[in-house]
Amino acid sequence: MGDQGWNRMGGDDFDALLESSLTGLPPKDVVKRVTPWKRAMRWLLAGMALTTLTLNVLNLHLLLPAIGMVLLLLGFRALRRENRWFGACYAVTVLRTAYVCADLVLNTTIWQRAVHASSLANALTGLSLALLFMEFFCLWRGLRAVQRKAGETPRAWNAAALMVWYALLWLLALAGDRIGWLLLAAMLAGYALVLRSLWRLSKELDQAGYAVRPAPVRVSDRTLVLALAALLTAGCACGYLLGSRYPMEWTPVEAGPDGEAAGLRAHLLQLGMPEYVLDDLTAEELAACEGALQVVVDVDDEAVDGGDMPKLRVTGVGVEVPGEKERWIIIHHFLWLADPGFHGTEAIQLRTVYEDLPEGWRSAGQVTGRVLYEQNGESYAAPYYFLGERTCTAGSLPWEQHSGNDVFAAFSVPPGGENCRGYLTYSIEEVRDGYIINGWLDYTHQKTWLQYPAVTALERRLAGSWNHDGAFRTIGVSLQFEQTEEGARLLAP
Amino acid sequence: MDERELVDLLRRYGPLLRYVIAPILPNPQDQEDCLSETALRVWERSGQFDPARGSWTAWLTAVARNTALDYARRQARRYMVGQVEEHMPSPEPTPEEAVLLRERQEAVRRALERLPGSDRALFYRKYYYRQSTAQIAAELGLSQRAVEGRLYRLKKRLRTLLGGEEHG
Repeated sequence: MGDQGWNRMGGDDFDALLESSLTGLPPKDVVKRVTPWKRAMRWLLAGMALTTLTLNVLNLHLLLPAIGMVLLLLGFRALRRENRWFGACYAVTVLRTAYVCADLVLNTTIWQRAVHASSLANALTGLSLALLFMEFFCLWRGLRAVQRKAGETPRAWNAAALMVWYALLWLLALAGDRIGWLLLAAMLAGYALVLRSLWRLSKELDQAGYAVRPAPVRVSDRTLVLALAALLTAGCACGYLLGSRYPMEWTPVEAGPDGEAAGLRAHLLQLGMPEYVLDDLTAEELAACEGALQVVVDVDDEAVDGGDMPKLRVTGVGVEVPGEKERWIIIHHFLWLADPGFHGTEAIQLRTVYEDLPEGWRSAGQVTGRVLYEQNGESYAAPYYFLGERTCTAGSLPWEQHSGNDVFAAFSVPPGGENCRGYLTYSIEEVRDGYIINGWLDYTHQKTWLQYPAVTALERRLAGSWNHDGAFRTIGVSLQFEQTEEGARLLAP
Repeated sequence: MDERELVDLLRRYGPLLRYVIAPILPNPQDQEDCLSETALRVWERSGQFDPARGSWTAWLTAVARNTALDYARRQARRYMVGQVEEHMPSPEPTPEEAVLLRERQEAVRRALERLPGSDRALFYRKYYYRQSTAQIAAELGLSQRAVEGRLYRLKKRLRTLLGGEEHG
């Protein structure tokens, strides 16, 4: 027959021909594929494996369970109308998927650590665990119902074994660090055995599985997966867009100093205080410099992004003020000479002089400061989002490491903000003569939004990390000087 | 195969046999009758099973499917008796038609071998197992429209493959 024969043939004739063409045994691969059950079962097994065994590298501990949840969702969706137990499994999986997706989105915001540490998160974790047990229980009962429907003796102990395994895992998790490697290996081996048993069970259930009737779907599996992925992507995009900065209380900066303050300002300028530092101080901070005896200034221009072009100017200022004992006001000022690039979170770690050398100096007032920027010719200022002491260990090299109570500040500047700057200031008083003045400022800048889970510059700094390859870069600048008979002298210009 | 083995077979493979029979015979009573007939055939012909030609499941599938098709044909013939049967042409093909049919069947078989596994399975679901679009859609997690689209493209591809073969 010529090719026209095939093409001339009408649709019904062609269908009839195709039907009459299949006379022998169906091929082995086709027999394996044509089953109402295996596809769903395979997804359930893969889903269970992925949601439990996770690799804590490259965020796989977050990615694999998410994929596993989707597989469980698809598997139980197909079986949801088979019996009420599978229906319950499906409902539970929907809830668990929603929880996992919400957590994945939450991880794109800087609030994730705070939320995860809250009591609400603990309650949700407990609920998630309860749902997990409920899912396994319903799976066990669902499998038994399928066996019963197919006229087999109900067993499916493997699904029940999963519940026991999870209960043991939960108990071990409560034990925390006391778990030995041997016990952990035994648990993993146990889990592998349970999964293998489930796989064998699904093979044993192959024949019973022909009694299963998958539920029809309006939305195909592929569309559902794509919709979930799109929803997750949109959620993560919103998380990165709306949850990557602190909410700052910006207010327009009031007019310049009055007559008396103008005199003091002129005096400080004469002593050498940089005008850009002076302009940013509040009236109270300026008044604290009344009667200034001398000013020490140390300016460092740093290339925060790792390039050659300096982008951040850090200015250390010491103002000696009169008093019974030697008193200094220390100001650590930073100024972005160019656009910081990504406007996320920024952090400052301040090692105060009195913390560094308590034998020679003590605090004579709280650490204060603020952040400023300009937009459309108007200046705005805000207090730091966080300003307070934290105990930490710091230092880039082992012999430089020290621990103590450092002052930390955290803030964000809005996109489009120009001339971004800020400062921290405090006063010190001499305890014993002969000690140098040594204060350190470590500035951590967030270079990009691209990090998962999202952490803030402050969290990064508190972790004591100096890794420049990630989303953050930290620079350290010191203000070191000593008092001599000729006046103050910088030690590390 | 003795009687006890037949009972065991029905218990173990009953769901598979029902699964194969159901799309061809929608009536539940017909399905049960056909199942009994299939079991009888399996009992009678189990000696004919040749593992070299296919798996036991494939053989059972073929027996169940052919029994159901025979059952459906018999029913259709019974319905037509006394109505139009005397005006119908003989269902038996002429020798020339039989040769042509064999050639076409061989061509289809060769074309099917060139399809990906998933398409081949879809083809068998539709034209061998006689499953409805709704059943295929539910079992593959697809919408009915998606199944219809895939079947349309599959048939188009087959026409091309068959035409191409004839050219060659």
